[in-house]
Amino acid sequence: MQVKNKDNFSSYNPILNFFFFVCAIGLGMFFMHPAFLVCSFVLSLLYYVTIEGLKGFKFFVLMVPLILLLALINPLFNTAGTHILFIYFGRAYTLEGLLYGVAIAFMFVSILNWFASYNAVMTSDKFIYIFGKFLPSISLVLTMILRLVPNFQRKASQIGTARMCIGKAGENTEKKEKIENGMTVLSGLATWALEGGIITADSMRSRGYGSGKRTNFAIYRFDSRDLVLLIVMIGLVAGICVCGFMGGAAVIYTPVLEITFNIYTIIGSVMYFCLLAIPSVINIMEEIIWRILRSRI
Amino acid sequence: MAHFEIKDLSFSYALGSGKKALDHINLEIEQGEYITVCGKSGSGKTTLLKHLKSVLTPHGVTEGKIYFEGKLLKDITLRDQSAKIGYVMQNPDNQIVTDKVWHELAFGLESLGMDQKTIRLRVAEMASYFGIQGWFHKNVSELSGGQKQLLNLASIMAMQPTVLILDEPTSQLDPIAATDFLNTVRKINLELGTTIIITEHRLEDIFHASDRVVVMEKGRIICDDNPHAVGEYLKETKNEMFAAMPSPVQIYYGVENNLKCPLTVREGRNWLSEVFSGNNPVHTAIDEKEQRGENIGVPAISIKKVWFRYEKTGQDILKGVDFYVSRGEFFAIVGGNGTGKSTTLKAICNICKPYRGQILIDGKRVEKYKSFELFKGNLAMLPQDPQSIFVKQTVGEDLAEMMDKDCADKETKIAEIAKICDIEELLESHPYDLSGGEQQRAALAKVLLTEPKILLLDEPTKGLDNFFKLKLAEVLKTLKSKGVTILMVSHDVEFCAKYVDKVGMFFDGGLITVNTPNKFFSRNSFYTTAANRMSRHLFENAINNEDVIKLCQMNL
Repeated sequence: MQVKNKDNFSSYNPILNFFFFVCAIGLGMFFMHPAFLVCSFVLSLLYYVTIEGLKGFKFFVLMVPLILLLALINPLFNTAGTHILFIYFGRAYTLEGLLYGVAIAFMFVSILNWFASYNAVMTSDKFIYIFGKFLPSISLVLTMILRLVPNFQRKASQIGTARMCIGKAGENTEKKEKIENGMTVLSGLATWALEGGIITADSMRSRGYGSGKRTNFAIYRFDSRDLVLLIVMIGLVAGICVCGFMGGAAVIYTPVLEITFNIYTIIGSVMYFCLLAIPSVINIMEEIIWRILRSRI
Repeated sequence: MAHFEIKDLSFSYALGSGKKALDHINLEIEQGEYITVCGKSGSGKTTLLKHLKSVLTPHGVTEGKIYFEGKLLKDITLRDQSAKIGYVMQNPDNQIVTDKVWHELAFGLESLGMDQKTIRLRVAEMASYFGIQGWFHKNVSELSGGQKQLLNLASIMAMQPTVLILDEPTSQLDPIAATDFLNTVRKINLELGTTIIITEHRLEDIFHASDRVVVMEKGRIICDDNPHAVGEYLKETKNEMFAAMPSPVQIYYGVENNLKCPLTVREGRNWLSEVFSGNNPVHTAIDEKEQRGENIGVPAISIKKVWFRYEKTGQDILKGVDFYVSRGEFFAIVGGNGTGKSTTLKAICNICKPYRGQILIDGKRVEKYKSFELFKGNLAMLPQDPQSIFVKQTVGEDLAEMMDKDCADKETKIAEIAKICDIEELLESHPYDLSGGEQQRAALAKVLLTEPKILLLDEPTKGLDNFFKLKLAEVLKTLKSKGVTILMVSHDVEFCAKYVDKVGMFFDGGLITVNTPNKFFSRNSFYTTAANRMSRHLFENAINNEDVIKLCQMNL
């Protein structure tokens, strides 16, 4: 069984990856219309499953109780609504409140799903690639920090082990000694880091750091396919925004349920569906192409 | 026009006794030459190399002039120097700046402000030349030491330097990675014509390949000639540096003959055949050292069918390790990287807890000991990286940390240990200011203050030159004579052959064979000493330089 599938959307330029997630999460937090919510929920789940495989399903199973909880709790705080289901301790538990809760729950879980996918797709170097263009020095600092953190962890455990093996740490020490010991390790770590920093600085200057204007190299390319997809994405986002602006996604849950349904709703939700389906479609298409190619052999 | 020309260079450090670190150095280096700079630590090798690149030149008083490609070095811009003069340092880890392999390759080119297209091509070229494609996208933290150092070299070569300066580049690597690295350097020299200036303590790998060897002593160049002449000079002047020469050279000068001096094992083998010129030697074996009575009482360390893995679903690191170390014995474990040698030491210290099998220290299971019982006056381990043991501002403070506050004879004890480890003059220094060999001995001193009966050493000879190895061996001998049991993990075949009582070969999570060094190494054809490899066609069990010399003298 394949646990982790290859994500082909990741192979597009990071700008596209980032733009997509910004749109998906941004719009997802904005739209409360059921049609839009369903799109966002289904497609966020689908995409997460295409990149994480079985793990994606497990994630969803864990989400179910969360959805129920969020949906059921909302009416407890929001008593507005015309259809009263029952009354407890003198407070009304309304249908509108419940529906609103369901909507919030679905929105919340879709956003979670998008963030989970974001974490899998947007690795640190992609993030740095995008922001390095605007802030070259900050991006270098970021890369160096990313290297520093695991280095520190490793060294700290080395010092810990070394000290344990000469009887300077262990389970039979008092609290005061433990704190003292921790401080000693920390000071040793600091010395080591400073010493390493000097060498790193030498190594940087020796390779021309500070000798003039720096450029930023990235292994990512911006191909024609990236351009095409970017234009499509921008077009869809613009269309969705227009439809939203024209009231296509307007919805009121409490006190009276009012769900708009007009031509803008249809166009808007279809476009929304198309936008959010992009990464999943790319992944599934690629899978199908490979199946076909393989079957020809 | 010489590539580098050093004229009457003297230098003394700003903070210091005013002693000259470099003393009237004159050196000319031609384009494409392979120059080895050797000398004891503290002889000024690194100081000299650092003068060849302005940004790295230490603070102090400099006299004399350095010319690079006909121009004064200090008049050449930082940009030009960065591109043309490549400098690889000792520590593989700290030289790396970024977190991804591909980014590191591009770092220098980015600093020079090159455009995307050029960088892409150069990076691709270097990755292919150095065989980095396989780990091109990896995080730097996932690489082995050898890979890291290769990455450092590649990222410097990406800037297309005309000269490559390497300051003990392999001191932190295991022998196989070190040889690989040095072969790559050699390949760069041969295929690209890049000038190489290298300091190195593993002379075996580069001595024969060098066009010239420069020997330094106390900031001066005492000899600057081809390898043959340098060997002869050092022998005639009875210089201490002779001990650092490769085995064939040392053996050659121990045997009376008037043939040409061999530099490699192959030449040494042919030379030895010629010395005997067809006559088979009469004496072909040396007497083995007297074996002490074995199995007296309970073994100091006894490991019984130990299995270990780091994670439940992970691979087994130890697969039924089973051996014992008798009391007062000096036991060495040799074997490749990642076979589980260091993990065995950690298991003995109860840091890695095996899921099957037993480890007995003095006949008692290790997990039954309380931590302070085990590590005070009983068991102690010297970690692979001695730096991880220093936490104070001076060596003296670090040693004092080991003593109880109310200990009466604190000073005398520290003085005693400092004397054994030969670090009396270093007590006031900062641990990080010491050389590799000094750090190793200072760390050993700190470990010895726990007064261990069993001492575990994790690659104590890593990064040490031959003098420091001799000194370390002295220290270990002293300890052994006091009845300390020593278990050492090492890559250093020569060191093991010379000093230990028993050698075990570690492979695939288990100890394959245990024997005396003599029997062990004389039966191996690859995993053995240079002296054995060059003499095995004539002698049965000569494993040290001294053995071969002795046998030759007996036969001639």
